[in-house]
Amino acid sequence: MTFLETSEAPSGFLDSPQARALLVRVIRVAFPHAQLPDTAYEKTADALIALAEKTPRHFLALSSGLASLDTLPAGAFLDLNAMDATARLRAIEQTEFFGFVRANTVLTLYNLPEVWQALGYEGASFDKGGYLHRGFNDLDWLPEPRIEEYTGELRYVEIGPLTRQVGAATPATPAAASAAPESASGRDEVTK
Amino acid sequence: MSAIDHDEEAVVIIGSGAGGGTLAYELTARGIPVVVLEAGPHITNAEYVNDEWAAFSQMAWLDPRTTSGSWRIARDFPNLPAWIVKAVGGSTTHWSGATPRFLAHEFQARSTYGGIDGANLLDWPITLAELAPYYDRAEIAMGSTHRHGRAALPANNNYKVFANGAARVGYNFYATGPYATNAEPYDGRPASVQDGFNFQGDKSGAKWSTLVREIPRAEATGHLDLRPLSQAVQITHDRTGRADAVLYLDAAGGMHRQRARIVCVAGNSIETPRLLLLSASSLFPDGLANSSGQVGRNYMRHTTGSVYAQFPDPVHSYRGETMAGIIADEARHDERRGFAGGYYLETLSLGPAFLAAFADPGSWGRDFTSILDGYAHTAGLWIVGEDMPQETNRITLNGSVTDAAGLPVANVNFDDHPNDVAMRDHGYRQAELLYDAVGSISAHRTPPYPSTHNLGTSRMSARPEDGVVNKFGRAHDVPNLFVSDGSVFTTGAAANPTLTIVALAIRQADHIAEQLANRSL
Repeated sequence: MTFLETSEAPSGFLDSPQARALLVRVIRVAFPHAQLPDTAYEKTADALIALAEKTPRHFLALSSGLASLDTLPAGAFLDLNAMDATARLRAIEQTEFFGFVRANTVLTLYNLPEVWQALGYEGASFDKGGYLHRGFNDLDWLPEPRIEEYTGELRYVEIGPLTRQVGAATPATPAAASAAPESASGRDEVTK
Repeated sequence: MSAIDHDEEAVVIIGSGAGGGTLAYELTARGIPVVVLEAGPHITNAEYVNDEWAAFSQMAWLDPRTTSGSWRIARDFPNLPAWIVKAVGGSTTHWSGATPRFLAHEFQARSTYGGIDGANLLDWPITLAELAPYYDRAEIAMGSTHRHGRAALPANNNYKVFANGAARVGYNFYATGPYATNAEPYDGRPASVQDGFNFQGDKSGAKWSTLVREIPRAEATGHLDLRPLSQAVQITHDRTGRADAVLYLDAAGGMHRQRARIVCVAGNSIETPRLLLLSASSLFPDGLANSSGQVGRNYMRHTTGSVYAQFPDPVHSYRGETMAGIIADEARHDERRGFAGGYYLETLSLGPAFLAAFADPGSWGRDFTSILDGYAHTAGLWIVGEDMPQETNRITLNGSVTDAAGLPVANVNFDDHPNDVAMRDHGYRQAELLYDAVGSISAHRTPPYPSTHNLGTSRMSARPEDGVVNKFGRAHDVPNLFVSDGSVFTTGAAANPTLTIVALAIRQADHIAEQLANRSL
C-alpha cells in the first residue's frame, strides 16, 4: 500500500511512536507474561504494524482501533492499570481491530526464539544430536515406567466392561498417588 | 526413474502418501510400470525444517478449502479443515508414528454397536482375519516397535508422566508403541535420536514414511515415473465407462493427459472425493463411481481432543518422540461408558507456537497465557477414538469458491454426533484423572485440531448401493478405478489409520497384480 503525497492522504499515524506505544500496551495487556522481555512485545507490535500496512482493510482496522483507544472518556489507555485495561479490551474483543491484534499476536509472539527461551522451550535439536543425550528422559520425580506392552495375567478386554475399576474409582489424593507404586495396578486382580 | 509415455496405458496412481506410495512400490516391485501424480513438491529429509510454522508453510496442504457445520473448526480455522501434507510422501511425512491395529469388532461396527440414530454405520466387507497377514507385512515394512522383534522405544519425559498416571488410575495396557520409528537401526535407517518434531518433516530418517522407504525403492526398480507438482483434476472414461486417462496440471498451470489402464486414487479423504466429483460426465452425472450417492459422504475425522496438565516439577515434554506412548484400555467397546466404540490415549506435545495457536483458539488474557507460562512443566496427551459416520458429514464442491485453476474447492461439512461428544468428554475426564493421580496442579482441555485423520468419503461396502468401492477398493461402478487411501474406510475404528491404510494398499496391490496377470483388468 502506498500513500499519496496530498493533504487528503491519511496521516502516518501507524508509524508514530504513540501508535506503537499503544499497540505494545494492548499486546502486553492481552497476553501478559511476567517473564517475557520488552523486546518480545515490541517486535510483535512492529510485525503487526508492518502486516497491517500491506492491506487497506487491516490498516484501517488497526489505525482506527488504536486511535479510538486514546479518545475514550474513561481516560487514555496508556494510563489505565492492567485490570482496567483488560476490561477495556474485553469490551472490544469482537471488533475487527482486536481480532486482528489477537490472531496475529498468537502467530507472532509465540514464534519468537526469545519467547521460547523464556518459556523453557529449546526447539530444534537435530543439529545437536537430538535430545538423546540432552535430557529427553531426565524427569526424575516419578519412577521409571514400563515401556513394554502388558504381559500380566489380565486379559485385554475388547468388548464390555473392564474387570477392574479405573480412573473414577481411584481417590485422587496425594496420599493415594504417592502410595501407589507403578506395578500395583491390577496385577493381583482376578483374571477374567 | 523410468519415463512413461503420456500415450502409454499405465497404471496411474494419484497421490504418493501411505496408500499411493505403498501401492506404487508394491506394483513396481512386481515389474508393473506405474505413473505417480503427486500434487506437491519433492522435499527431501535434508530440506526439512524443525520449526513449527516454517514446516507448516513448507509442507501443509494450503490450497483453499471451505467449511460448514457446527464443528468448532468452521469458526476457528474456516479455511483449514484438515492438517495434511502436500508433498511427495503425503501425510506420512508428518504423521506421528502410532500403529495400533483395528480390533476385530471394529470391522463389524453395525453388527456390534447396533443401529444408532443419525449414524450411517455399516460392516466392512472384510474381517480382521483377512487383513491380519497384511497387517504383518505393513508392520514389518514400517518397522513398528514392539512387533516382529523390533525393540521398544525408551520412555521420554512425557511418557513417564503418562505411564505413571496410567498405572495409578488402574490402566494396564500401555507402552511406548507400537510406533513406526526405529528404536534401533532397521531397514537401512537409523535409530531415533529423540529429536521430536514428529508432526514436521523428520530430518534423520528414523521415522517410516513412503518418502524414505517406498518411493525410493519404487524408483530403484526402474518402473516408476514419479511426477511431483502434478495436480490431477479429472479422470476421464471411454464410452463403456472404463477409466482411460487422468488430466493433470503442472506447476505452471499447463494441462497434461496421461493415458491409463488402471487409475488408483489416493489423494486423502478430501481430495479423493473432490476429484471423483470433478470427474462427473454425462455417463456419471453425479460424479465418477457415485451411483450410490455415497461419494464424499460419511466423512470421519476421529473423535479427538487433548489435555495439557501442569506439574510442580519440570517435564520438558517436547523432548523426544512425540507420540511414543499409547494406552489401549479405553479402546474397547463398552456401552456402560455411555457411548459406542472406543478410544486410545496417546502422548502429545506441541511447541509454544502451535500450543498458542491450538490450545484454545480465540482466547486471550491470563487464562490463556497461564497455559504457556507453565510450558516447561506441562505434560500432554491426545484422545483419538472412533467417530460415527454420518451421511451429512460430507465433502462437496463449493460452487462459489475456486482454486488457482478456477476449479471448485472442497467444502467440508461436519457436525459432531452425540456419541462423539460423549466419548470426547469421557476421554477428557479420564485424562484429567490420570494426570491428577501423578500430582497435576492444573489441566486444560484443548478442542480438536484441524483434522489429521480424514476418512470414509469413498467407503467400502459389500453391496454397490451402500458404498463406493468393494473389498479390494475397486469402484463398484468403474471396473478399472480403485481408491487406495483412507477414503475407503467403512467406519473409522479407534486406531490411528496409517497402518491400516498401508495394509489395505499392500492387499490391493496383490489383487491388482493378480488381476493383471490373469488379464481380468
